[in-house]
Amino acid sequence: MTTAASKGLSTCHFCFKLAPADVHRCPRCHAVMHLRKNDSMQRTLALLITAALLYIPANLYPIMYTDQLGTTEASTIVGGVILLINLGSAPVALVIFVFSVMVPSGKLLALFYLVWTVERHSTLNPRQRSVMYRMTEFIGKWSMVDVFVVSILVALIHLTGILVIRPGIAAICFAGVVIITMIAAESFDSRLIWDNMDDEMNHESEELESDAG
Amino acid sequence: MRGDIACPGCDLLLNIGTLQHGESASCPRCGNFLTKHREDAYDRVLAFASAALVFLIVANSYSFLSFSASGMENTMTLKQTPVALWSHGLPTVAVLVAAFIIVIPSIILVLMLALCIPLRQGRYQPWLVPVAKIAFLAQNWAMVEVFIIGVIVSLVKIAAMATVEIGESFWAYVAFTICFTAAVASLDCYQCWERIEALRGSKK
Repeated sequence: MTTAASKGLSTCHFCFKLAPADVHRCPRCHAVMHLRKNDSMQRTLALLITAALLYIPANLYPIMYTDQLGTTEASTIVGGVILLINLGSAPVALVIFVFSVMVPSGKLLALFYLVWTVERHSTLNPRQRSVMYRMTEFIGKWSMVDVFVVSILVALIHLTGILVIRPGIAAICFAGVVIITMIAAESFDSRLIWDNMDDEMNHESEELESDAG
Repeated sequence: MRGDIACPGCDLLLNIGTLQHGESASCPRCGNFLTKHREDAYDRVLAFASAALVFLIVANSYSFLSFSASGMENTMTLKQTPVALWSHGLPTVAVLVAAFIIVIPSIILVLMLALCIPLRQGRYQPWLVPVAKIAFLAQNWAMVEVFIIGVIVSLVKIAAMATVEIGESFWAYVAFTICFTAAVASLDCYQCWERIEALRGSKK
């Protein structure tokens, strides 16, 4: 298994062009070239911590208020799911539960796990971890469903005095969680998962050589 | 050498040679998708992207959803989705929603047209490189299909409270989503950059 890095080549992040690692600008698209994404671990971890902190108010504060005939009812993300189950629409409750609860928390945990395994130079199941990374990357934007639901309900349901729906502060926190985890996934460099394997293999072959010598 | 590529997912050095129409390449080590070659990619993008732009204009011109309860009725257009958030004191979320469902998708469509017309004609243009960079970078931030799911969920939520009617704009936005997704899926990043480089080389 030959990697581009072991041949002294780096890949352009924008256009996949291969160029010698000492070339500063991509010969094809003039983007700045890096062997690996810059400070990938620090950036990803910093963004993950930010997102995890924002995730707390996103769940504690109401995501929307329903004003119906003089009474105001606040609902959180999880409250909305429970309301939907009570209304008898279990499939939609499941959709909201998956996109608004499971996906964001699962994504945070998955990325924390990936950063942790890379930091401790794990060589465990790199292919599985690569698949895990691609899933977090692919699924990221789907958590925005709940924010869109709130914005549609707010725009549509506006009968002053009878029924009005207003957005809550959790909407912005939750949008923040989704966007920041998307940036975190983008700043994670999955090649680092494999660099540990390659280091290990090189190390082993060096040991074999020195044993033979 | 021609066809040399390093997997962006695991840095494995590969040679995929010259792909034929319909052939695709994935990394054998980490399973990452690399590229799919389509001879008719630029025709497809032009067709789907221009159709999507027309549907987006239609989607912005009529009523999206309307809702009635206790003898009162309220109609909303697509634009009102972000505008209502703005007027309720959440301008940041309003800007984000507008960007994800209208602004970024339409920028991507215009950029894809600016990219694919010269690529199809085989003429090098100095704007190809920056346009391709922005078009591919922005793709992850268009959330049109997510918005459709959001509308469906909202419909179920409101159905319990009142009667909802689906407007013309909703169907136009569904058609827009299908065309937009097809246009984005037709344009392959690797193929596109190889073509830009080949055109630049032949011009010199």
